[in-house]
Amino acid sequence: MKKSTVIALCAALSVTAAAVPVSADSDKELVLFTWENMFPQEVLDGFEEETGIKIVYSNFDTDETMYEKLSMAKGGDYDVVIADDYIIENVVQAGLAEKLDQSKLTGFENINPLYQGQFYDPNNEYTVPYGAGIPLIVYDPEMVDIEIKGYADLWDPSLEDSIALVANYRVINGITNLMLGKSMNEEDVESIKETGEKLLELAPNVRLIQDDNTQNALLNGEASVGFLYTSQVTAALAEYPELEVVYPEEGLGFGIMGMFIPSQAPNKEVAYQFMDYILQPEVAAQCTDFIGYYSTNKAADELVNPDLVVPDSVKKGEIVQNVSAEAEEQYNKNWTEFKAACD
Amino acid sequence: MKKNSKLSSLYMGIIFFLMYMPVAVVIIFSFNESKLPVRFTGFSLKWYQELLGDSAMIEALGNSLILGVASCLVSAVIGTLGAVGLSRIHWKTKSALEYVSILPLMIPEIILGMVLMAFFYLLNIPFGMLTLLLGHTVFCVPYILMEVKARLAGMDPSLEEAARDLGAGSFRAFWDITLPLIMPAVVSGSLLAFAMSMDDVVISIFVNGPRISTLPVKVYTQLKTGVTPEINALCTLMLVFTLGVLAVYSLAVWLLKRKNRLFSIKEK
Repeated sequence: MKKSTVIALCAALSVTAAAVPVSADSDKELVLFTWENMFPQEVLDGFEEETGIKIVYSNFDTDETMYEKLSMAKGGDYDVVIADDYIIENVVQAGLAEKLDQSKLTGFENINPLYQGQFYDPNNEYTVPYGAGIPLIVYDPEMVDIEIKGYADLWDPSLEDSIALVANYRVINGITNLMLGKSMNEEDVESIKETGEKLLELAPNVRLIQDDNTQNALLNGEASVGFLYTSQVTAALAEYPELEVVYPEEGLGFGIMGMFIPSQAPNKEVAYQFMDYILQPEVAAQCTDFIGYYSTNKAADELVNPDLVVPDSVKKGEIVQNVSAEAEEQYNKNWTEFKAACD
Repeated sequence: MKKNSKLSSLYMGIIFFLMYMPVAVVIIFSFNESKLPVRFTGFSLKWYQELLGDSAMIEALGNSLILGVASCLVSAVIGTLGAVGLSRIHWKTKSALEYVSILPLMIPEIILGMVLMAFFYLLNIPFGMLTLLLGHTVFCVPYILMEVKARLAGMDPSLEEAARDLGAGSFRAFWDITLPLIMPAVVSGSLLAFAMSMDDVVISIFVNGPRISTLPVKVYTQLKTGVTPEINALCTLMLVFTLGVLAVYSLAVWLLKRKNRLFSIKEK
């Protein structure tokens, strides 16, 4: 290789290294940290136009990754984070979340009280809810002979090899708990073992277990019953409105996504501006319609797709909470055995 | 033998069909009207439009490409030098060294990612393209190192020794004799390293920092909210590009061969 080629290559390498973006001027920037596609583009563009602040949209794939990165950064690097409820409990306990100054959030009263005062933030000091999910049973009435009213019906022998489940071990263990009359957050290990045995009886009815796009199995006919997350229910109904949605009579489990500001956020003022922007009813309605989760903003309820407002009859819901390590271990064992039995 | 080769061609055809069917389905559904890959509801180019208008995705693609090229170049240099060095030493710890050199391939990615993140925080290195480059180089080097080591083992050492005999310094002997001989291994190792780097999600998520995103990370973090056929469109375009590059390369080789053949005919 000629010397000139070598020099050219070295120059190319150093140009690449120089392409390292120098850390940008951070007072006109908002660093947002959540899953991708959590906001419609119009909402993000609208914020940028209104305030002139550039949004840097950073992503994580799971709550656990978010927690790792946030704790490594000691609560810095990010201005606004949206994550699931259970991990926020850990974040608050580790001191990584900022106590919100509610005077800066004019839209705070818009929040639906049904979603406040939860285990991860009992005094509503740290979070603003951004959408709630209630996993529900959805089925195709043409392919199913029985009428499904609750979780117990899933065990019906006529549903052999026809159920699609989401892959969340706490939720599936949880609905078995509810069906047995126990709490979703049962902590007694012996009792959880019984739940595991009951769960194994469901195995012959399960066609597939899949966490993302579970609704597709229902839509393409592979499964006739699905137990789906809220966004999947919305997607399924959009495609095939004749599907029946069941609010199981034994009770519901729900999860809330929370928005919080990390304790060492580089730009807290901007974070408050963004949070307040999201609390405005029109913006909240746009977001809710886009992500297909339940609306947590009471003022936005009239503007949203009616399927995304929880009916008033639904008050009996239990949120999936963190449990003790021994309970976790037994739930995990149940899940592993259940998955093995399903194959 | 004729009967066997027909049967084996048929068998190969079936295998290829099964292997590439999923890819074909992805391409077909990139033209789907509906958002869900359940039914083909109609022909539409809207996902391509959305892809070309999605500046975040294009930026992520650009970052991935730059990162891939940079990390495969850096790891090519380190890997080649490492392999050459390993081939020359005869220490007692040689096998231990060889083991350590391919360790990054054996450690689970998530552990490697977390450890790299902790390490970078310890050294206070600002997260961004630099840390991504370092992280990717860590797992790219072993690919090149293994390839070059294998090639060196099969190479005749007397060639380099002959060069040294004739008066070449050790650097010149390496540069003009050894390197051209091992170049195919370096190139193929680099291509493999590039593919691995483009593909990497786990390590990238941990070492990327808040401002930079690579393509696989961007796609993977969409899983919670749902992946749209925009990704199918992206896949189709990348496939077309790769096939295009291969086609151009094959054409160039064929033209070169033709030119050489004409040359040798002329010489005669």
